[in-house]
Amino acid sequence: MDDKRQFASGSGIPIKGIYGPHDVKDVNYDRDIGLAGEPPFTRGVYSSMYRGRLWTIRRYSGVNTPEETNELYRREYELGQTGFSVATDVPTGYGVDCDDSEAFADVGDAGVPISSLKDMETTFEGLPIDKIATALEVSTESGCPLTAMYVAIAEKRGFDMEQLKGTTLNDFTASSSCAYHKGQLSPQALLRLSVDLIEWCCECTPKWHPMCLDSYPYREQGINAVQELGLILATAIQYIEEEKRRGRVPLDKFVRRFSFNMGIHNDFFEEVAKLRAGRRMWYKIARERYGIEDPRCWQFRLHVQSSGCTHTTQEPLNNLVRIAYQMLAAALGGAQSMHANGYDEGICLPTEQSMLLSIRTGQVLQYETNVINTVDPLGGSWYVEWLTSEIERRTWDYLQNIEEMGGMIQALTTGWVHREYRDAMLEHERRVTSGETVVVGVNKFRLGKEPYEVPIFRPNPETPEIQIEKLKKFKKGRDNDKVAQALRNLEEVSSSEENVMPAVMEAVKAYATIGEISNVWRTVCGVWSPPMIL
Amino acid sequence: MSEKKVKVLMAKPGLEGHWRGMVVVSSALRDAGFEVIYGGNMMPTEIATTAVQEDVDVVGLSILSANYMLLVSHTIKELKNHGKGDVLVLLGGIIYEDDFPPLKEMGVAEIFVPGTPLPDIVESVRKLTSAVV
Repeated sequence: MDDKRQFASGSGIPIKGIYGPHDVKDVNYDRDIGLAGEPPFTRGVYSSMYRGRLWTIRRYSGVNTPEETNELYRREYELGQTGFSVATDVPTGYGVDCDDSEAFADVGDAGVPISSLKDMETTFEGLPIDKIATALEVSTESGCPLTAMYVAIAEKRGFDMEQLKGTTLNDFTASSSCAYHKGQLSPQALLRLSVDLIEWCCECTPKWHPMCLDSYPYREQGINAVQELGLILATAIQYIEEEKRRGRVPLDKFVRRFSFNMGIHNDFFEEVAKLRAGRRMWYKIARERYGIEDPRCWQFRLHVQSSGCTHTTQEPLNNLVRIAYQMLAAALGGAQSMHANGYDEGICLPTEQSMLLSIRTGQVLQYETNVINTVDPLGGSWYVEWLTSEIERRTWDYLQNIEEMGGMIQALTTGWVHREYRDAMLEHERRVTSGETVVVGVNKFRLGKEPYEVPIFRPNPETPEIQIEKLKKFKKGRDNDKVAQALRNLEEVSSSEENVMPAVMEAVKAYATIGEISNVWRTVCGVWSPPMIL
Repeated sequence: MSEKKVKVLMAKPGLEGHWRGMVVVSSALRDAGFEVIYGGNMMPTEIATTAVQEDVDVVGLSILSANYMLLVSHTIKELKNHGKGDVLVLLGGIIYEDDFPPLKEMGVAEIFVPGTPLPDIVESVRKLTSAVV
């Protein structure tokens, strides 16, 4: 009976009933696996892994006004949190001011509104930014001005720029393909801005990670593990190619502080294998393809997040179980930092309760399960090693396909990436409707009535009004000649090949807003209409 | 005799950009024989003018922003202002059950949360529009 049924992984790889030595006969231990902390890093980027240092537990937060977010961060700091992940609201992420007529309903939604340096100052008031590491989780559009604002605070407080720690999520593929919004810049324009930011940080803030490749949003569109890995590596390659073309910063320095952010989905072993394959492939790309000498550049340093699209609105507590398995896969796969989603992601923005549970999910894994005792405990499993190689093989093919198209810029502007997403999301729905893909409590074992209620978070409905008033007043009060001058300068620099960041710094310090800065780029580069995909 | 196709405008009011749900639902409606205009992100006035220009029977709103009450009320107000108050308004997204009654009061005919089977959505739209055409 069993023999007739087809078993396959989440990305459609046929899986046999049992694996043995013959399945890994082409795998050479020294060449393909080796020790953790050594090429090709299949087993982990550091030799002692979690024995030396546990993964960072991060909480992605930001809510209502900058004042309220500041209170939240102070509480988090008192709890001992040393890494902050700033969630900005939707308009800020897209480079739109909160007093823009189109932003009225989205101000303070899903994050903190930061229209100007003033809001950033308020958000980090009283927090020792020389001691904490901050991740600015933003779209590429706002990556340059928001990083500039954070750096400007540090400068004002007299901190050593060389020591400033943090990360900017700065992935042009995510910004160009995962959400549509008005006034969107083209992939080329976004690539230019992100590379400017990387170059500038290499000079001014050497401990900042200006480039976090972020495939989490791509994966959320419904694509599989192989597609996700292929796209994130193709995006990284596009960045390296751009700097090679420019030739301003040596690649050893340019790539030094790249980091990666991926989703962790339901197929347990496939996700473990994906992370292992990703490390091996990145090593080959950095060292063998680009001849980068600095071993630190060969390390695929990784933050992961449990996959929101696997969470359900029905019986939301089931998501706690899904998230815990996903976090376990990430730990066995060797991630450096993890974010466990709120179990209530399918219902509302996270409550205090679900955020606390998110931290506890990581802590139980770290302190109670002993999975941290040894490095890469699944290494050497015939199945896992075979699957790692299989994912690597399939991902090289996928990557080659993108490169033959001309790289990520081409893949995005022609709509190919968007079609990949569309096909994946429609196929997923087809499978859920037919029952081929099971979602427990949704298309199988569904109850007629929701069996329980959970607490709900409601954002403050007054936030838009408060922020809009505040910004209008603020714009009247600042030195508007200085702002205009800084924006003219930014426009001039943006029209040339020069790095925009010094001009962005000047504009930010003059209290120009994120919308004003982004509008300069909309004027200079033009607005992009993403390829329609229906 | 050719049957008039039911015309649906699918739109996301506001800036928030999660579009997966809207693509999937638009595609299912199209496959079921509806004429679908995929509007993407639009401001409430734009939704109203498009609904008038295209003479649609249904406006499908997809909202993943927490401020859906505000977005829906603005959109319905604009539809009324543009003389399109009779159009069937449907809503999909992450919507709290407590808010269903006030949303229906505002004029939303039906609300679909994540996990609603696609065939159920299609069937529901078919039923609700049977009187329209």
